[in-house]
Amino acid sequence: MMNSNAPSSSSGAAASTDSSAPRRNSKRPKYSRFTQQELPACKPILTPRWVISAFMLVSIVFIPIGVASLFASRDVVEIVNRYETDCIPQPSRSDKVKYIQSSEDKTCNRTLRVPKHMKQPIYVYYQLDNFYQNHRRYVKSRSDEQLKNSNSESDTSSCKPEGTIANGSSIVPCGLIAWSLFNDTYSFSRNNQQLTVNKKGISWKSDREHKFGKDVYPKNFQNGAIRGGANLTTSIALSEQEDLIVWMRTAALPTFRKLYGKIEVDLQENEIIEVTLQNNYNTYSFNGKKKLVLSTTTWLGGKNDFLGIAYLTVGGLCFFLAMAFTIVYLVKPRRLGDPSYLSWNRNPGGH
Amino acid sequence: VCCRVSPLQKAQVTSLVKKGARKITLSIGDGANDVSMIQAAHVGVGISGLEGMQAVMASDFAIAQFRFLTDLLLVHGRWSYLRICKVVTYFFYKNLTFTLTQFWYTFQTGFSGQRFYDDWFQSLYNVIFTALPVIMVGLFDKDVSASLSKKYPELYKEGIRNTFFKWRVVATLAFFALYQSLIVYNFVIASSSISVDSSGKMFGIWDVSTMAFNCIVVTVNLRLLMMCDTITRWHHISVGGSILAWFVFILLYSGVYTPRGIYSVFYVLISTIYFYVILLLVPVVALFGDFLFQGVQRLFFPYDYQIVQEMHRHEPDGSSAGLLEIGNQLTPDEARSFAVAQLPGEKSKHTGFAFDSPGYESFFASQAGVLAPQKPWDVARRASMRSRAKTPRKN
Repeated sequence: MMNSNAPSSSSGAAASTDSSAPRRNSKRPKYSRFTQQELPACKPILTPRWVISAFMLVSIVFIPIGVASLFASRDVVEIVNRYETDCIPQPSRSDKVKYIQSSEDKTCNRTLRVPKHMKQPIYVYYQLDNFYQNHRRYVKSRSDEQLKNSNSESDTSSCKPEGTIANGSSIVPCGLIAWSLFNDTYSFSRNNQQLTVNKKGISWKSDREHKFGKDVYPKNFQNGAIRGGANLTTSIALSEQEDLIVWMRTAALPTFRKLYGKIEVDLQENEIIEVTLQNNYNTYSFNGKKKLVLSTTTWLGGKNDFLGIAYLTVGGLCFFLAMAFTIVYLVKPRRLGDPSYLSWNRNPGGH
Repeated sequence: VCCRVSPLQKAQVTSLVKKGARKITLSIGDGANDVSMIQAAHVGVGISGLEGMQAVMASDFAIAQFRFLTDLLLVHGRWSYLRICKVVTYFFYKNLTFTLTQFWYTFQTGFSGQRFYDDWFQSLYNVIFTALPVIMVGLFDKDVSASLSKKYPELYKEGIRNTFFKWRVVATLAFFALYQSLIVYNFVIASSSISVDSSGKMFGIWDVSTMAFNCIVVTVNLRLLMMCDTITRWHHISVGGSILAWFVFILLYSGVYTPRGIYSVFYVLISTIYFYVILLLVPVVALFGDFLFQGVQRLFFPYDYQIVQEMHRHEPDGSSAGLLEIGNQLTPDEARSFAVAQLPGEKSKHTGFAFDSPGYESFFASQAGVLAPQKPWDVARRASMRSRAKTPRKN
């Protein structure tokens, strides 16, 4: 019986082609390295040498960056002053909410001492704790079209309940975010001399120029029965209302800072700064905290040791692991490609 | 061993093994009478050719010659198992990492359900930013080459023992997904809680989440490269392409004005040194755990295929032989038996041996000038042929 299975098909494919009797008339598919899975490839093997080198490389790169970041963070001088409880006069402390909602004089005087020489510009922030600007209903409650375009004034559908007033006229800017605009104010003096706080340029340029319109003016703002925060001057366009712009860039966490202004003079060590603040904003209904922060910045921003510590920790850990691997490799090496580690050689006749 | 069985009985024997012994069964046949057996088994392989195409049409896999079965099982079957495991586990891992970062955020939003990422990020994550590289792995990944797979058939046991998809493997991957999500989320959140720029300005929610998403895409794609045993240029292209696609997307999305929070977020980010510092730190720390685990595993608890890889690490990839004629890859034994099979075989009384040619091969071989060593039973048979025709053959 003549074997007529002529050897015509290629070897690699699983479901290979038909073999046909005349050898020349082969149905073999066109060969390509892609379809035959024969592409040139590198086959990385994670030998101990590679592991040790990788760890050493990481530690060599990370430790200097960590040191630089930590130095940058240490260079920052920061003054934090919590004032929401202290700024309520003693008799009213039992009912803070009633106090804050009354029309009493809310002026409060605080004293700050400069711990180290602070180079200008010195940034003034207000920090709020336990204020959920990232709540879903809150984040939704704005109308970006309305902010940019004076024609889109009536686009207030996502702004309920702060979308329109009783007679149907729209509120500009609408929504809860704008409505709850922070309204404490701070003024600083040193040796009875006023320190000017520059409130220009505190918002991101892209916001000022593209998100908030130059011809959009506040309308019907804070007109309702409940006032949520600051008032806005109706004669100033939104693109110049930088406090509003900063506030409307909703923060990611319930504890956040927002830029209030810049002080453009140096502050010397041990100087006493007098702060006169208006304690207007109601954080007492939800046990929020208010803090005033003065801070310098470096190339990496404000005072945050986290990056420096993270880099140093990872660099150090990698270095330690590289050493550990080297020791293990020297003490108890496994020869690469040692056949005695194959499972059928280790348990002969097993499985 | 069964002989003289009907097709129905063939199927019954297969079912007996399948259900009674509870094993995975493979049946292979070339004729119409094998169809029921092929269909009864878990995997049915049909041989196309002499007896027609019935077996092929009823089968799951069709091959042209019986000996291709070794390739089918030991090479392609094994690779297929490996690839499916990698693809499935990777899919679980990357979605777990991504979703867990969202989950950690819910603790910080007063449980209000505010999403961490922009809608488009979430939709396109699985479609554009992480889809192509895993397809490349599923197509091309090989732990050892084809010739080594056949040289070490014991490697096939990995599939039988389900080494790559045991609960332990999946749990390890889930643990590292958890670890990575914690790293990405916490590092980005902790480092952006104060101003990150010399201008003193603060980030908002979309800046922070874009930074986190950026780190996730880079981390998850690099993790895929760590999972590969074979890296072709398509891997480089797809991984690099996915990350590049992300950058192109976000540059466009945050560059073209839309009335959403995401406008100009990425441009603000890339203008800070913080972006690059975090982009270096977070993927490295996130992958650090996996890297350490893989290093330790290979050093102390190596899999069999890893040992085989190491044993043959200096050999060039043997499959670059290009178009292979069958004759080129036969061993001398195979070449001889093939040549013998071409010889005019006698119409032996001993039919029914499907896979070997009977009797007088060495005699005919020597007539045709093919060198074949004399087998003991040949000599015995020829000597006793006349007198005892019914002597049972030793084979």
